[in-house]
Parts: sequence; C-alpha cells; structure tokens
Amino acid sequence: MESITEMTNWAVDLIDVRKTYGKTIDALRGVNIQVRRGEIFGLLGPNGAGKTTLVKIMMTVVRPTHALGTILGRPIGHRGKLARIGYLPEHHQFPPYLTGAQLLDYYAALAKVPRAVRRKNAERLLDRVWLTQWRDTRIDKYSKGMSQRLGIAQALTNDPELLVLDEPTDGLDPVGRRDVRELLLELRSAGTTIFLNSHLLSELEMICDRVAILVDGHVARQGTLTELTEHTVEYRIRFQGDLAPVQKKIETLGARIDGSLLSISGHDTEKINAIVDVLRGAGLLIEAIEPHRFSLEDILVEVMGDKRVARPTTPP
Amino acid sequence: MQFWALIVDSLRESLDRKIFWVMGAISVLIAATMFCISFEPGKIVILFGTWEFPSDLFTTNGAIRQDRIATLAVSWILDLTFSWSGIILAIIATAGFFPSFLERGSIGIVLSKPMPRWQIFLGKYFGSLVFVFVQAVFFVLLTFVVVGLRWGAWLPGYLWAIPLVVLLFSYIYCVSVWVAVYFRSTVAAAVISLGVWMMFFGVQATAESFEYYPSWQSNQTVHKAFQTARWIVPKTQDIIYLVAKLSGAGTSGELLPDPDLEETDMETIKRASVAERKRMNMNPLLTIGSSLLFEAVVLLLAMWKFARTDY
Repeated sequence: MESITEMTNWAVDLIDVRKTYGKTIDALRGVNIQVRRGEIFGLLGPNGAGKTTLVKIMMTVVRPTHALGTILGRPIGHRGKLARIGYLPEHHQFPPYLTGAQLLDYYAALAKVPRAVRRKNAERLLDRVWLTQWRDTRIDKYSKGMSQRLGIAQALTNDPELLVLDEPTDGLDPVGRRDVRELLLELRSAGTTIFLNSHLLSELEMICDRVAILVDGHVARQGTLTELTEHTVEYRIRFQGDLAPVQKKIETLGARIDGSLLSISGHDTEKINAIVDVLRGAGLLIEAIEPHRFSLEDILVEVMGDKRVARPTTPP
Repeated sequence: MQFWALIVDSLRESLDRKIFWVMGAISVLIAATMFCISFEPGKIVILFGTWEFPSDLFTTNGAIRQDRIATLAVSWILDLTFSWSGIILAIIATAGFFPSFLERGSIGIVLSKPMPRWQIFLGKYFGSLVFVFVQAVFFVLLTFVVVGLRWGAWLPGYLWAIPLVVLLFSYIYCVSVWVAVYFRSTVAAAVISLGVWMMFFGVQATAESFEYYPSWQSNQTVHKAFQTARWIVPKTQDIIYLVAKLSGAGTSGELLPDPDLEETDMETIKRASVAERKRMNMNPLLTIGSSLLFEAVVLLLAMWKFARTDY
C-alpha cells in the first residue's frame, strides 16, 4: 500500500476502471494503472484490447461503467482539471475550413487559455512542429503528416501538465517520428507527464519509462521495461568449431545449443564463465558473447499467448 | 471565451459553405429586381420607365401608401423569398453542422476540453443560428434600403424581421439538431426537419382555414383537435404576421385586384383578411412563448442525448 506521498505523486491513478458497451461487450474489466508525474508512460496491446476506450474515459469522451482514482489529483471526469491536460485522439479530424493558426486558437480558447497567451503559444508551437510557413493555409490542404504535427501542437496549446497521445506518430515518416520522440523527451525534461498509446512498440521502447500491456480489457503486465523483460534475459555465445566432444558438458551447464549458437538464461556470470572455460578448453573459437532481452513485441506476443492473462493484475 | 470560440467557429464554417454565398447573391438579385420597380401616382413603373402599368394600389392622391408598400415587402417579398425558399436553403446548408461536429475524430477533442457538455451543445446550436442571422441582416437591410429609396417608404418596424426570421428558423432547426444528435445523419436531419416544418405549416393552415370556411366548424372534434395542435407546434406563420404588424402592413388580400372576382371568392378573401388581421393582432408573447416551449423541449431532449452519449 503506497504512502500518501507516493499516491500524490501519481499523475494518473486509475483503479478498477470498467466499461461495458450495451449489456454484453466488456471493453474494460477492471483496469488498474498508475503513472508517475514527469514520466513517459506507454500503453500497448492488441487491437480490441480497450486502449482507446481507456484513453477516452480519461478524457471524459466516454463514460465509464465504473471507475475510481484520480487524474492530476482530481477524480476521473473532473472537468476543471481538463484545462491542464492536452489530448490528441487517434484518427482525429480537424475542421477543414480552418487554417493551422485558427485551429490552435480555437482549441486553446476552448481550453480557457487567455487570448494574449494563445497568440504567443500558437506561433511558438507552429514553429516547434515546423508548420510556420503553413500557418495561414487551410487544413484541408495539409498532408497527413502535417495534420498529425498540427495535432500534437494543438495538444500543447494549454501548456499541459499531462499529455495524452493516441498514436501520435501515425502518418509520420521516420524523420518526423524521430522529431516527435525528441519533442516528447524535451517535454518530459520540462516536467510534463506523457501518456502514450501506440502500436509502434519500438518507439515505446525508445522513450517510455514504464509501460502497461492491456489485453482483453485487463492489464496483463505493468512496469519498467527492465522489470517486464527481467525473466527473458539470456546470454548468447557464438562460436566456431566442433562442439561434439564437449556437448554433453555444455548441456549439463544449462546452455541450449542451436548450431553454432549457445543460449544461457539468466544473469549467472559464474555459469557463463564456466561455459566459456569449457569452450576455450576444447579449443573452440568464441566469436561473440552478447546479452539479450526480449523486445516489447516479444513480451506482447508472450502475454497474448499466456493463459494467465485472464486474471487481472494488482498495482505495483 | 469558450462559448464565443464555438460561435466564431460556426461563423467560419458558414462562410465556407458555397450555399451561404449563393443565398447572398440571391438577396442581391431580389433587391436589384425591387430596385427596378417604382410606384408613381396612378402607375407602377418597371425598369426605369421601360414598362408602365396603371394602378392606384400603392398611391392615393399622389402620396405613397406606406401600409400597402409594407404589405408588399413583408407578406409577398419577405414571406415568399426569405421565409420560404431562404429557410429551405438554410436548413439544407446547416443540416450538416451537427453531424460533422459529432464525428468521432472531431468531437473527441472538443469533449476533452474543460467545458460542460450542455455548454458545448448550446454553443454549437447558437453558432449554427449565425448562418441565418448573417443572411437575415444582409437581406433585410438591403431590402429596407431599397424600399426606402425607391419605393418611398421607410419602415423601421421592418428591421424586426432580422431577429424574428432567425427565431422562425430556430423553430425548425431544433428538429434538425435533434435528428442529428440521435442519428448523426445530414440527410436525415435535412429531410425530417423540412418534413416536420411542412407539418407545422399544415396544422396552422388547417386551423386557420376553419375560420375561412365556417361550414368546416360543424365537425367539432376535428376543429378542437386542430386548434389544440396549433398551440403545441411552433407557429411559423405567426412570425410573418408579427413582422407585418410591426412594419405597419395591411393584410395580404388587400393587394389582390378585386373587380374580376366572383362574390363567393370575395367573401372568402374577406374572411381570410379578417383571420389574418386577427393573427397579426395576436399577443406576440403568447405565440412566441408557446413556440419557444416546443423548441425548448426538443432541444432539451437533444441535449440530454448528447450529454449521455459515448463518442
């Protein structure tokens, strides 16, 4: 049980969030997620897991069947606190008749940003997302990538404490994605909490401090990337030569043999050194010794195939 | 600030619609046509003297008859052009405002702002009325100036047409919004609201016809039913009668040439004029109040649905 201090450090504290559509579709079955202030938190899961529903509940676009917890210290659904949150939904559609500058002004006004601040912010943000020369161009002339960058800019117009982004790099080329990642890291350095929902697992691996994996309306795993992949650590030894004379001994030491590749689970350095000694003793040439962890994708695939997914997890 | 942002956004959306500019062009065309007509003692002059028709309808002893001019401006021009065809065009043009506003990728960002849903709903609703407000200001001011300069009758009361036509439009648009919130379909919103408007008109016209044709009143049940229904539905025609009264107009029948009509037709026209005069003198608070009650109920139902829906 966290102390009061630890609890107030949560930017997002979702407890037992449930959502049933109609009477039969359980989109969320008791989700518990905690996001620390100032961290980048990633939410991933397969299609239909409930990720977008969860994000929409946080933003009051969808009403939960049941939800406890807080966002920025206020109960979920508290309207006033929304002024301190920036949001970019997936598949957003902006009014085509507005220009880039008009759009930022419009959404900032809805977020209660004073006029003078809106104007300054709009110029700064358009510059930050490389859209300054397009500020007076109608949005229906924008490319997908430009529209996405404008979307990120509109989520920042109110200088949010919490930024909720659903697929923020959708439609961006690799350079654009890199630029967005750098922007998010800058924001984190400035103290902004970022809640990210993305299918691009490699991107989440690059920038997230912690992640949660949502499967079938439950949080299957939650924690730092190190915590999630702890049990998957192994060392791989690539060698040259004939292993036959020492194969039995290698297997006894717990290595798995795959051609000229040995895999040893865990961090046991004594075991690894013993295996290296055996290989060197047999005159085999060691080409490489590399630590290896599962990627986030590997973890997701593992979770989706894991029968334990059916049970909800407790918060860390 | 937030409310105003929704209004400004709706204004920008209106300006983006081609039909907005088409309606403006039609207003100019109508005003130009009116400009080509003038009334002189004993005659109506068309196209600056190209044609002339003898008539004492609009002048008496060399002086312009303001009441007849007002009747022409309100009961014929304003009623036929703006309050019929203009409203139809406006309903079609604005039918898409709410459905596009409620599209999943669009409404999500708005709902995530620190604004109660009822406020968002009303901001968008009043913003949509701006479309007709701008058109009404343009049409009424233009025709007001033409009637004053060319027809010799300055009718300050005619300017009440601006807010009253917007009110008339709101009676019908509330139905369009209700349909849009429940079904999120532009076509359904346009078709159903126009159909319901025809129903309003039908109920009103039938209720009034009982006064033109006293023999109809023999069926007391039907007569009472229509009189009751008339109070429930918005009284769109009463708006024009109110504008006519405020402009100092007479009844529309006064402009019909009578020498060639048969006696029975004359009797019907006289009864219609009496009924029209009665409508013009109706308590405006009563007629507008009861219509606004209908509108309020429809909007409350739409607002409730909007507040409860997951987008």
